[in-house]
Amino acid sequence: MALAAFVAGWLTGGGGIDLAWAPTWDLRLAFELDGLAALYGILAAGIGVLVFVYASAYVPRHLAHQGRPRREEARLHAAMVLFLISMLGLTTAQDLILLFVFWDLTAVASWLLIGFDRHDREARLSALMALMVTAVSAVLMLVGILMLRVEYATTQLPELFAVARQSTTVTVAVALIVVAALAKSAQVPFHFWLPRAMAAPTPVSAYLHSAAMVAAGVFLLSRIHPLIALDGALLDALVVVGFASMAVGGVLALAADGLKRLLAYSTISQYGYVVTMLGVGGTAGAAAACFYVLAHALAKSALFMTAGAVTEATGATALSGLGGLGRRMPLLAAASGAAVAAIAALPLTIGFFKDELFFKAALEHGSLTAALAVAGAALTFAYMARFWSGIFLGSPRDAPQPIERRLVWPVALLALAAVGGGIVVAPFAALAQDAAAVTSGAAVKLEAAYHLDARSENLMALAAYALGAFVLVVRGVLSKPLAIVEWVGTHFGPERAYSASLRGLNRLSNQLHDIEVRDLRTRVAAVIVPGAALVAVGVVLTPTEGAYRVGQIVAADTPLVAALAVCALAAVAVTAPRNHLALALMLSAVGFALATAYSLLGAPDVALVAVLIETIFALLFVGVFALLPADVLRREARLRPHRSRQVRDAGIAIVSGVVTTLVVWAAFSRPVPSAGMAERHLTLAEDAHGKDVVTVILADFRGLDTLVEITVVGVAMIGVTALLASRRRV
Amino acid sequence: MTSVLTQLVARSLLAPALVVAAGILVKGYSDVGDGFAAAIVAALGILLQFLAFGRAQVAAVLPIRRAPLVALCGLGLAVTVFAVPLAVGAAPLEHWPPAAQSPVHVGSLELITAVAFDVGVFLLVLGSAVAIIDALAATAEDEA
Repeated sequence: MALAAFVAGWLTGGGGIDLAWAPTWDLRLAFELDGLAALYGILAAGIGVLVFVYASAYVPRHLAHQGRPRREEARLHAAMVLFLISMLGLTTAQDLILLFVFWDLTAVASWLLIGFDRHDREARLSALMALMVTAVSAVLMLVGILMLRVEYATTQLPELFAVARQSTTVTVAVALIVVAALAKSAQVPFHFWLPRAMAAPTPVSAYLHSAAMVAAGVFLLSRIHPLIALDGALLDALVVVGFASMAVGGVLALAADGLKRLLAYSTISQYGYVVTMLGVGGTAGAAAACFYVLAHALAKSALFMTAGAVTEATGATALSGLGGLGRRMPLLAAASGAAVAAIAALPLTIGFFKDELFFKAALEHGSLTAALAVAGAALTFAYMARFWSGIFLGSPRDAPQPIERRLVWPVALLALAAVGGGIVVAPFAALAQDAAAVTSGAAVKLEAAYHLDARSENLMALAAYALGAFVLVVRGVLSKPLAIVEWVGTHFGPERAYSASLRGLNRLSNQLHDIEVRDLRTRVAAVIVPGAALVAVGVVLTPTEGAYRVGQIVAADTPLVAALAVCALAAVAVTAPRNHLALALMLSAVGFALATAYSLLGAPDVALVAVLIETIFALLFVGVFALLPADVLRREARLRPHRSRQVRDAGIAIVSGVVTTLVVWAAFSRPVPSAGMAERHLTLAEDAHGKDVVTVILADFRGLDTLVEITVVGVAMIGVTALLASRRRV
Repeated sequence: MTSVLTQLVARSLLAPALVVAAGILVKGYSDVGDGFAAAIVAALGILLQFLAFGRAQVAAVLPIRRAPLVALCGLGLAVTVFAVPLAVGAAPLEHWPPAAQSPVHVGSLELITAVAFDVGVFLLVLGSAVAIIDALAATAEDEA
């Protein structure tokens, strides 16, 4: 449905929604279905449909393998729908804050999806890693967005494009957003989360790691491209990161043995292409990038599904356990062959044009870029050929199990699209052209066609094939060094920095906790003593004239005086008992007497809360004493503190008592004329139909605060019950 | 365990506690108290039952297992009151009726969306408190 809406929306020229969200912050729910949104939205929704079909056959098998109930399937579907919705929101959002919200929603949904096998520790850790890398970098993005907002007082993208000029602030802000985008697209040096994320069930990988999650990063780069293009250094940085990712991903894909791992490395390298082209910029770069994303997503999701189908049929998850499936599964072999050809950029597939546009953009940028582009394409050719031949060619192994046709025909459909795009490229080119126009901020003419002449793009393609074939041939010699490279990469690469920083943070948190708990008394004193000292200094320095007036006590004050006298008596009495329970009851007597005084002073709301708090604390004390062993309490009660400590405690008590009395006396002697805000609240409470101004403040004037506070209460409930429940299970 | 007297006091205090809580809640907008205070009164009444009768008996009488659900409903209600004005183009948490319009009365009760918000607060705090009491009671029983 969403797919139909997006296609229809694109064909009719798009449209937009613009709603006020939080007007006081000038935030608007601004969505617009422009060319870029159409491209990524159609990809996310279209591939999403096929993935759902595929998952309906795959997930029951997956659950059955692990002996889990069928109903867990609903959890996966819910998370996928959440992902799809946030992805569609992301692609159409026109406000950076809104974009950030959807960005984080995709991260949360992907965390749920990658960690779907929650009994598996590896899957949980991988999900957490994906979440950490993408969500922590998203915080950088938020910082960047807020910097832009401070600079230009808007987060609306069209307005930003109109007013933004090159400056250091803008460059830093945009760079922060770019970092988040690169982390999401698994570019070097944040690439390590993607191979780990292959712990997800295969349909999830086919979706998130081809058309959606990873694509969100380059989508963001495209979306804010006019801002990036303000500074040439940022563009150059993109080119460097893109080529680095192409190289790292390509080499590791040549080395990898696991099917999905190989595909993950290939995704890193393929998005490296896109990042490079966005760095090249201009109309040629934008066109090439948008077309590339389209072609790659079609083919790559087909390949992920192929990997899943092959694993389901044979049980093998790595190339070393596979071979010769071509005769047994001809349809799958042909379909995935087409997809492989598309990524390897062979003619008669949509992939040929992606490389043609890529080479064209690279040539415009410079000869070094062009040479590196050919090298990258050669690597792609080599590892793609290795992937396909490793599964389908060679000597046959055991006969595969029969699998559902729904595991095969989504692959076939995608392959059909890839081949169809190689013959009739016009609709795909139109889609990419509209997206590129948004990216580059200018009209783009995207020309994709076969030219049977010796132009440089064709020569570069031929060179890439030849070089790729050569790499494939000599790979046998290279396998040892490649394996070493992969080992070094996983053990000493950025992943190590990630786990080291996680461990460090955990240690830091433990240390802080230890300090807090061990020296609680000192910590509390460290806050209270300087504060009290400051107040005392204030009392000493205040002119005494009129500060300490003695008022009159009239007959009407009798109850108040009585309440305060009880309070004072109880406060003195607290020092006497040695029994814990008596001590606690004395303390609550002080509190209740004070609450009575509040109610007499005309503060019934405060009195009510005070009574409730006192009741809670009295019950808490009693409860804690009931849980503590009786003999411990008795022993503690008999202990007499050291003589010097008794003197010290008495001294502290007297000094603080005197100072507090002086402060309160001085405050009461000079009643402050009632503050403007309180008056205002009283008048406004009438308007809000309330007579109890405290409640009106809580529910109306400061209702947002209340909402946040009760959310905290709810979270605390979840935390407490979860902690207690986990302790009971152990 | 606890004496008959404690149990008698606890049992006879439950209904008054709940009634007082309801009273504080609905009259909160024109009189002392609010959703939070009402929830604490109700939760204290229920806590008394736990102390006097133990977890199993309370669970047989009161639907304490549903406490987390109650809390979530409360949060949902508060968020609804927060979000609905957005849909009609007003600021979030803008209450109805507006200042110029007088509210609808049912008896002496005034229907204001702010009261609905307060009911959300009540449900959330009550649900959370009872859920935490229940979890603590379960832990204490296990250790005993």
